Amino acid sequence: MGVAAALAVLGALLGGAALTLAVEHAFVRIDQEAGPARHTELRHNLQLPNADRWLLPAGPVVALAGVALAMVVLPLGPGLIGRDLGIGLFYVIVVVDFVVLGLALAGWGANTPEGVEACYRIVAQLVAYVVPLGLAYVGVIMMARSLSTVVVVDAQRGLWFVVLQPLGFLLYVVTGLMQSYRAPFLEPFAASLGGGVLGVVGGWSALVWRVALAGVLLVVAAVGAVLYLGGPSGPWLPGWAWMLAKTYGLMALMLGLGRLVRPLSTAETLALSWKILIPLGLVNVLLVGGLILLGVGPGA
Amino acid sequence: MTVPLTAYLVVAALLFAIGVYTVVAQRSAVMVLMGVEVLLNAIGLNVVAFWRFTAPTDYSAQVLAILVVTVGAIEMAIGLALVLLLYRQRRTVEVDAYTDLNG
Amino acid sequence: MMAAFDILAFGACSFVAVAGALGMATTMSMFRSGIFLMASFIGVAGLFILLSADLIGLLQVMMYIGGFLVMILFMVLVMHDPGGAMMAGMELSPLERWFSKGLVPRDEATSAGQDDPASGEGRSHAGNRHEGHAMPHGEGRHGHARDHGGGAMPHGAHGGHAEHRHADHQHGDGGHGGMDMSMVTPVRPLAAWLAAAAGVVLVGMLFLRPAWPVTDAVPDPDSARRVGNLLMDKYMVAFEGAGFLILIGIFGAVLLARPSTHPDDPSRAAKAAVDAKPEAIRDDRLAPLAEAGGAPEPEHHGSHHGHEDHVG
Repeated sequence: MGVAAALAVLGALLGGAALTLAVEHAFVRIDQEAGPARHTELRHNLQLPNADRWLLPAGPVVALAGVALAMVVLPLGPGLIGRDLGIGLFYVIVVVDFVVLGLALAGWGANTPEGVEACYRIVAQLVAYVVPLGLAYVGVIMMARSLSTVVVVDAQRGLWFVVLQPLGFLLYVVTGLMQSYRAPFLEPFAASLGGGVLGVVGGWSALVWRVALAGVLLVVAAVGAVLYLGGPSGPWLPGWAWMLAKTYGLMALMLGLGRLVRPLSTAETLALSWKILIPLGLVNVLLVGGLILLGVGPGA
Repeated sequence: MTVPLTAYLVVAALLFAIGVYTVVAQRSAVMVLMGVEVLLNAIGLNVVAFWRFTAPTDYSAQVLAILVVTVGAIEMAIGLALVLLLYRQRRTVEVDAYTDLNG
Repeated sequence: MMAAFDILAFGACSFVAVAGALGMATTMSMFRSGIFLMASFIGVAGLFILLSADLIGLLQVMMYIGGFLVMILFMVLVMHDPGGAMMAGMELSPLERWFSKGLVPRDEATSAGQDDPASGEGRSHAGNRHEGHAMPHGEGRHGHARDHGGGAMPHGAHGGHAEHRHADHQHGDGGHGGMDMSMVTPVRPLAAWLAAAAGVVLVGMLFLRPAWPVTDAVPDPDSARRVGNLLMDKYMVAFEGAGFLILIGIFGAVLLARPSTHPDDPSRAAKAAVDAKPEAIRDDRLAPLAEAGGAPEPEHHGSHHGHEDHVG
């Protein structure tokens, strides 16, 4: 039972990552920076003379483990969920951090100037997104009165939270792009850094990175669909089809919006986060609290 | 619970011993801070283990553990700020070099 | 089945917790030290989850992954040898050697003819920067190592840089020679005995008094809700106090970390150094060295750069 569920989650991750990659390539023009979708050498292993032989290979494994763990609590349909945890959304926030840890490990372990600088920028980006991302979750959690993904989906049977909390949705789209290192926030993977961590991998680790980085975007989009778009609920079609459509629709929206803005440096990302997004998130929490007091929302 | 309480407490004791070693033996102030984190962690493990085995229906122990984690984080931030300040003034983070208050 | 899983999970988590803490205490690389500590915390978080306190376990993972990644970056800033490249070849105890494994791997291209893998990059940087610094094992090889000073090596570079400035300020007093790079104080044997004694006493006390009033009650599987209610109800003051403490902590950290405005004797130079614009990494003098010395470029690196802007 447990093994079958784990295999199913892994299969969903692999299929979803492949589809994510295809979607992402559709949004990258040839003159734009590809960021995490950049070309990597899959056939040869890179020989880095000074690499830390423990940390460099540990990086992709840790990142992939984080993404796979996050997939466990995503409801892909009614009853189609790896495990419904009571603190599911908090769990998602926590395990996606492992991707940052893996990127930092690989960047430092590669022991090249670009790798170490990418490690620094990745950690700075973590500092930028983690607080507003949490605030974007909080609005939904307040209305659903639960951290469980299934309960959050149930709470949106009547009305999606994107209608009730447009500010929170906007916040989630921006911080989700930061969290997945996509278009305007791709500084850690920019060509000026030689591709960052992706510039120093090859062979199996490049493949694992490919899956893990596509998986981050997949998880971000799927969690967004659960939080704001009602997850797998919807008329006519089966639940998994709705979940698929919403996830990739949100992903396409995020990638398309991200490509409209010029790429921001890490410093600009930090400034944006702390000067605009965090106050915005606090305002959102206040607004949602007011709505709940007024009796709007599913719990009322 | 197949694993007895004593097993958890032994792990916590080992962590505590390693923390003591780190705090005494390490030369740089940041490593000493990390040793203190290990000590706090051992305490947290003890608290949660005792909660689970002796009073699992009273959740106050979890509140205490959360507060321990919080205080650990604050300690880390303040300690790091102190280390940075000392580094700017002395160009070193070695605790043995801070001898101004020696009698 | 369930019992076997419990014991297995407990063994794995406690191994990670204890081995991580040991690695933290003994490895020669600052960065690794932080990573080992993180592993230790994750092991303890696993134990928390086994004890059905999953909220605290996840909280621990979140706080310490984010917190420690940032802390490691600061440690790298102030340490002499954050990558452990210099110390990796020194005399180490077996435990230290094991946890520092793979730090300065043998480099076939540059260290041909050298039997000791540890006489690689890190030491050669140390040699380049300040010859006068006493390195017990390094002296004899300085000339030799400098010939192979290739390889882009930020770990050594960080260490070398910090060490260089450190040397500028402190060279006069000649305070520390010898084992200056070492991360441990001379009282290490004493500390080891003290720690062993503490461990033995604690474990011994546990086995002398094994009878705790253990109950068979099972906690609520959704304990997060209960804890939240307690925090917002009975322990409201403690909760608010913790929040206030965090606020004060933020203020304190910002105040402490700001460069002071009044001139405080010899640290003026240090303040100027802190406030100056940091050198761009491209201008690091390691880079030309690396190119001139025929640095061992990673294989396929050239072809890699060629089409890196395209989508693969």
